[in-house]
Amino acid sequence: MTCAHVRSRLSDWLDGGLEPAAARALQAHLAKCSACSRQADELRAMSGLLAELPRLLAPEPMAARVLDRLELEAENRRHALALLFRGFAAARPLMLPSLVPAGLLLVSVLAGVLALDSGPLPEVHFAPGAWSAVPASGTEGNPLFPSADVDLPRETAGLDLSPEVLAGRGEGSVFVETVVARDGTVAGVTVLEGSAEGEEALLAALRQQRYEPVRYRGRRVAVSVYRLISRMECRPEPAHTSYSPTS
Amino acid sequence: MGRAGTPRGRAVSKVVERGGRIAMSASEMPLEVQGLAGHAQDRELVTSCRTGDPGAFARLVRLHEGMVFNLAARLLGDTEEARDVAQEVFLQVYRMLGRFEGRSRLKTWIYRIAVNQCHNRRRFWHRRRRDREQALDEGLDARAVLSSADGAGRGPYEEALRQERARRVQAALLQLSFEHRSVLVLREVEGLTCEEVGVALGVPEGTVKSRLSRAREAMRLRLRGLVEEGGRS
Repeated sequence: MTCAHVRSRLSDWLDGGLEPAAARALQAHLAKCSACSRQADELRAMSGLLAELPRLLAPEPMAARVLDRLELEAENRRHALALLFRGFAAARPLMLPSLVPAGLLLVSVLAGVLALDSGPLPEVHFAPGAWSAVPASGTEGNPLFPSADVDLPRETAGLDLSPEVLAGRGEGSVFVETVVARDGTVAGVTVLEGSAEGEEALLAALRQQRYEPVRYRGRRVAVSVYRLISRMECRPEPAHTSYSPTS
Repeated sequence: MGRAGTPRGRAVSKVVERGGRIAMSASEMPLEVQGLAGHAQDRELVTSCRTGDPGAFARLVRLHEGMVFNLAARLLGDTEEARDVAQEVFLQVYRMLGRFEGRSRLKTWIYRIAVNQCHNRRRFWHRRRRDREQALDEGLDARAVLSSADGAGRGPYEEALRQERARRVQAALLQLSFEHRSVLVLREVEGLTCEEVGVALGVPEGTVKSRLSRAREAMRLRLRGLVEEGGRS
């Protein structure tokens, strides 16, 4: 038996937990080895010191206090249960009285809504193919183009091309877009091609024009009208659709 | 002993204050001895407790409060905390009585609850970085005087020596890890068998033995000076 082996088993030996043969071998080693023997003595003395530690006593008996706390806990539990199962009205005495005016208010609002309601809203049907996926707008900001469905607007007040109007004009021709609003007045004139310089009188004359309102599917719409006005002619070309501006 | 001056003074006054209690505590000792009787008694006591007999539970507390308090005080090094923990232990015992199966002794089962409670309390301290143990071992001394009164007949010098030894042993105990401290206190102070210690700590007996061996070695190194003094005197 080596010293390390002996020391690792000293604790077991002191507890009487070693086999008789192992215990004898250990004792034989202790008889020869003073270091191990001293360690065994110290361990025994240490055990003795622990065993003689005085018993510490609680300052007062505990039973009464523990029973008090148990009683308190049981009481708290009872209170919690009572709260859970107490009658609804008893727990909240103001709840029912306050529900009555709230209910009356709700009923009167509902009655008012029903009285003002004129019946079911008309249902909107879309016949397949009748409308394109993108509905036509026909507003001044987004006018329609003349087409098979949209007629060119007819002028009710023609374009004044008196010599004064044409006097200041330059050499080239201008291509202008006139937006005819839904009421037949001119909402705007834009020079698309050519210079707008010196054309103020012409543009003012264009703005003075009036048209018959254009209808599309029964409602008035705004339409774009395009014109090419050239120096070579005294009279401007008639209005064209956007598809054939020069024809 | 420079530091022994003031605590001793306080301790004496407490002995006087609590003189009446000592006699009563001592008179409770036979009850504790009764508590060492067999499984049948345990089962009878637990059955009466389960039927909701407050007297039975009070008896259970009286039988075990001494050992629970001593264990908690030795493990925590603070009598105030120990009293708190002991109460918690009995509250938990009451709640868990339904789960006591009678496979171990009631005493061992209660020890197990007590060790767990002390361990939880220590973790609670650690979380709050309060290492109060070193500072409070003086409070333990004062009470130690109380219980040593039943060992009357010793001279005042021997008594003072004994108390000083106890203080140093307790201080050394508190330097050990909780694992080592608990196994040492259960085996050497409370005198449980290795098997019972295993039940109380919830570990196999083999683990108890190896842990005990390491704990004894750690304690031996810390108490070397005290042991040598004892050898000389």
